[in-house]
Amino acid sequence: MPTSRSRLLVSQDRSGPPPCSDRALLRVDRVQLGYWTPRGFTLAVGEASFEVDARERIIVIGPSGCGKSTLLKAIAGFIAPVGGTITVAGRETLAPGPDRAVVFQEFDQLFPWRTVLDNVAYPLRVNGAGRRAATTSARSFLDLTGLAHAADRYPHQLSGGMKQRVAIARTLALEPLILLMDEPFGSLDAITRARLQRELRSILERTQTTLLFVTHSIDEALVLGDRVVVLGGTPSSVLEITDVRDVGPPDSPDYAEMRIHLRELLAIEGREEDEGGHP
Amino acid sequence: MATRSVAVSTRRPREARLRWGRLPAWLRFSLLLAALIALWQAYVSIEQPDELLFASPLAVAEAFVDGWRDGTLARATWTTVQVLALGIGIGALIAVVLTVFATLTKIGEDMLSLLTAILNPLPGVAVLPLALLWFGLNTNALLFVIANATIWPIAINVSTGFRTVNPTLVAVGRNIGLSSRRLVTDVLVPAGLPHAISGLKTAWAFGWRTVIAAELVFGVSGADGGLGFFINNAKLYLQIPQVFAGLVMIAILGVVFETLFGVLERRTIVRWGMKTS
Repeated sequence: MPTSRSRLLVSQDRSGPPPCSDRALLRVDRVQLGYWTPRGFTLAVGEASFEVDARERIIVIGPSGCGKSTLLKAIAGFIAPVGGTITVAGRETLAPGPDRAVVFQEFDQLFPWRTVLDNVAYPLRVNGAGRRAATTSARSFLDLTGLAHAADRYPHQLSGGMKQRVAIARTLALEPLILLMDEPFGSLDAITRARLQRELRSILERTQTTLLFVTHSIDEALVLGDRVVVLGGTPSSVLEITDVRDVGPPDSPDYAEMRIHLRELLAIEGREEDEGGHP
Repeated sequence: MATRSVAVSTRRPREARLRWGRLPAWLRFSLLLAALIALWQAYVSIEQPDELLFASPLAVAEAFVDGWRDGTLARATWTTVQVLALGIGIGALIAVVLTVFATLTKIGEDMLSLLTAILNPLPGVAVLPLALLWFGLNTNALLFVIANATIWPIAINVSTGFRTVNPTLVAVGRNIGLSSRRLVTDVLVPAGLPHAISGLKTAWAFGWRTVIAAELVFGVSGADGGLGFFINNAKLYLQIPQVFAGLVMIAILGVVFETLFGVLERRTIVRWGMKTS
């Protein structure tokens, strides 16, 4: 078992060009992101470079306001970087699209006028599936997320956790190249959050979906992730990319050591982050 | 005391409260209505007011039935409903055009806010003299007045509806690959429906009051007179039961339209949890 921290520090190269691998599905290359405020232009992400391989689960973690959500929005194609490029499967992410399906943090990301089944089936029909095929596929993904019994309900009849499951089913049904999740469990209670983390992990292992997951919870990162990209600083940059595949269950010493390490890394920014909902 | 909702009513005798409250709603309201009519009949029977000033419920019912039988009341009702529907239709069309401008451009938004601030508080009938001057003593004047009364509540509600659509839903729509056209038809329109319906409800209420008032003022609208004309005409000939019958018809239509809106809401926005019933 790995005990030395250096083993866990995989790639950390901020000066030179990012390491290139042919397998990389998502390539974030010297990306700068910012936004306009009444006082002028604010740079949120100073420079970020990393790559995500197919079927990999990558967690972007950082303190509030470090631009991790902005980064996810740029990958989704909602905003354009001011510098650098983001490519998914070799194509620049210039506009939003179902190949980068997003699960948002907000519970009200479902269409309230559609049933649970239709919320999952409708995006499939938009993307060319026939009504029957869309319904069949939607049913199987609702099965996968344990929501078959709620197929005919409307979103307002669901709990927050169920709504997020529907959102997950909807994005998985689209069979995206990469699944983007923006703190989807951030508004859930601790128990539901832990359960959804475990379920998401097992679902992703079954569907072999590539994941980019944004959170500020270290435990969430350790439970879900293969690798963790730590963002920090103002404007932020990639502080570290850490492999967490082998940290083991939450009660193992490696897990504890990694947790302390990430905590220290994030504490450098002088902000104690809330750790709600760790398993 | 179990919940706050029963706290108030427990002050009343328990049995009476339960008995009345347990009856179905339609029966409760029918009984109350019957009691009111009985009071009305009792007043007429005991006090025997001047028949040229006050009519008994029986006489009103008779006039009502006669009015439907000989077609005068039916024609008047139909005329009013037709004019109202056309007026609201024109108003809604103009409102949609204004809303599109208000949604697309900032200057359109400001213009709509300004026009609404000026024209919305204006009672519909207030522009009637001008309308008569411009259009003459005909249906067009009525349509103008109704349209003016309905444009503003519809426009301001629909544009607010579009403006306040949850941005996450729009982001989801773009994320799943909706075209701009489908983003409007499949996301913005249903998301703005609660506001659109409440705009239509206000428009109906404004239009309804306006059309009756306008008909009362200048009577004839088109070939036949509407309900307002019916009432005024009956008053001229001192047919007091007919006056009451016209009022009853107005009340019935009001209840019918409110019910239709209620059904529409229950089937859509209430069912979807976008409005609590």
